[in-house]
Amino acid sequence: MSDFIRVCKTSDVPDPGKELLEIDDRFVVLFHLDGEWHALDDCCTHDNGPLGEGQIEGFQIICPRHGARFDIRTGAAMTMPATRATPHHEVKIEGGDVYLRLAEE
Amino acid sequence: MCHKTTSTMTRAIAPIGFTQQSFENFLAARSEPGWLTELRRAAWEVFEKTPMPDRGQEEWRRTDIRGFRLERFGLPEMPKADRSPPASVLTQGVELAGQSVTLNSHPWRATLQRPWADQGVLFGSLDRLVASHGDLLRPHLARAVDPYYDKFAALNAACWTGGTLLYVPRGVTIDRPLHILRSMTSGGVDFGRTLVVLEEGAEATLLAETAGTDPEAAGLHCGAVELLVGPGARLRYIDLQNWGTGTWHFAHHKALVDRDASLQWTIGALGSRLAKVNQHVALVGEGADAQVNGVMFTEGKQHLSYHTLQHHEKPHCHSDLLYKGALQDKSRLVWRGMIRVEPQAQQTNAYQRNDNLLLTEHVRVDSIPGLEIEADDVKCSHAATIGRVDDEQIFYAQTRGFTRKEATRMIVSGFFQQVFDRIALESAREALGDAIGRRVREYGGVES
Repeated sequence: MSDFIRVCKTSDVPDPGKELLEIDDRFVVLFHLDGEWHALDDCCTHDNGPLGEGQIEGFQIICPRHGARFDIRTGAAMTMPATRATPHHEVKIEGGDVYLRLAEE
Repeated sequence: MCHKTTSTMTRAIAPIGFTQQSFENFLAARSEPGWLTELRRAAWEVFEKTPMPDRGQEEWRRTDIRGFRLERFGLPEMPKADRSPPASVLTQGVELAGQSVTLNSHPWRATLQRPWADQGVLFGSLDRLVASHGDLLRPHLARAVDPYYDKFAALNAACWTGGTLLYVPRGVTIDRPLHILRSMTSGGVDFGRTLVVLEEGAEATLLAETAGTDPEAAGLHCGAVELLVGPGARLRYIDLQNWGTGTWHFAHHKALVDRDASLQWTIGALGSRLAKVNQHVALVGEGADAQVNGVMFTEGKQHLSYHTLQHHEKPHCHSDLLYKGALQDKSRLVWRGMIRVEPQAQQTNAYQRNDNLLLTEHVRVDSIPGLEIEADDVKCSHAATIGRVDDEQIFYAQTRGFTRKEATRMIVSGFFQQVFDRIALESAREALGDAIGRRVREYGGVES
């Protein structure tokens, strides 16, 4: 398990909002929604589409390529054509900073 | 290490090399014909204007290069004095007609045996030979690869250095292979360009390989290969891409095969962190024949993306492409192949096939064959397969006394045998087989 890494200030991402991050050669989307912080791989498990460019509906993000939906709180695939979850990363807030711990690939 | 991809948080990185000033310095240090300098300047303008490709473009849809930072690299610099090229893997036991070696895009060694030199064959540094034989080479350089195709093609056309030339005059047969070794130290840059010109009725075999000075060497290769096979000429070209696994590899390779000429083009793709290669064969004369073979093996987090085109421009041509790939760990292969037949290219016979073997659970293959046929009297077909190792085969081999790892290697070797059988040169066949055999680990199983 990797360590928590400071990625930005809480004030850098509005609510609602999302931010694309590059961490150790990995692209991750950080979400700030309804006061909650979550992070997913920027990768639709259907065809590796750019999930972070998708629209947000509630706590779901919709892949812009084929419309697969993922639960932002868990990474779970909610609709076809995706069938596998995308990695969900642990996020914590400390002293106005956002920290993220990468999940296993 | 983390940074936001927005401009506000992007790390400030001082550009190392690709500035107007560095380009001017590069040109000033060279002694080249004026026409070549003009070509370079035109390509530089295109390079500067052209944005980096992104996943919005179909060709780059499956290849994510957001992690690639061109500004971290610069024009090739002389390697440190204590560095030397690695050993060749393709030429063990082979008597060569000549050899050209570069390190970090700088000529290291070039030889050509006397009998061929006496017959007018040119082989060695393209940088040197274009200065001495400019009029001969002018009609050929940048004839096959479009220097304006994309940012990488333009960058190579503007800044290629450490290039290699093989020129075989009309009717000359070179009955021993020639060899090109292009190598890079970790953190290095290679902007090589290979130009092969076989005049009418000429014949040659060329072995080319790339290698890092250590297996995990990082670096950038932005290259181009042009194969011009004249009427009735025969070229066998074997190209092993074996960069260190930290290297970014962007390349445009294109062959023009003229009337009644034949080309056998075999690629081995084993190295690099990410490779994006366009391999095009254009059959530009009636009766041209091209056989294209590919052997690909990926591991770790490698991403290899090969885009092939068999372009039938004239009637009565034949092309046959067979690409085979095996993957393990979390690696990824993309093959996107196209057979394009122009309206006048009647009596075309074209085939393409891509087979893939998945050795672990988390690999991914995108195999996308395609046909664009505008003639109405042709035979064109294609096939693609993706499968896993049959557990029963593993089990059977184990009952015969093989370990699971030995069984896996045997099955992978058998999978590639169909391509190996097409390679006439034993040393190349063995080198590819050994390199893959060393990489294969125990079959991890793949969920159905």
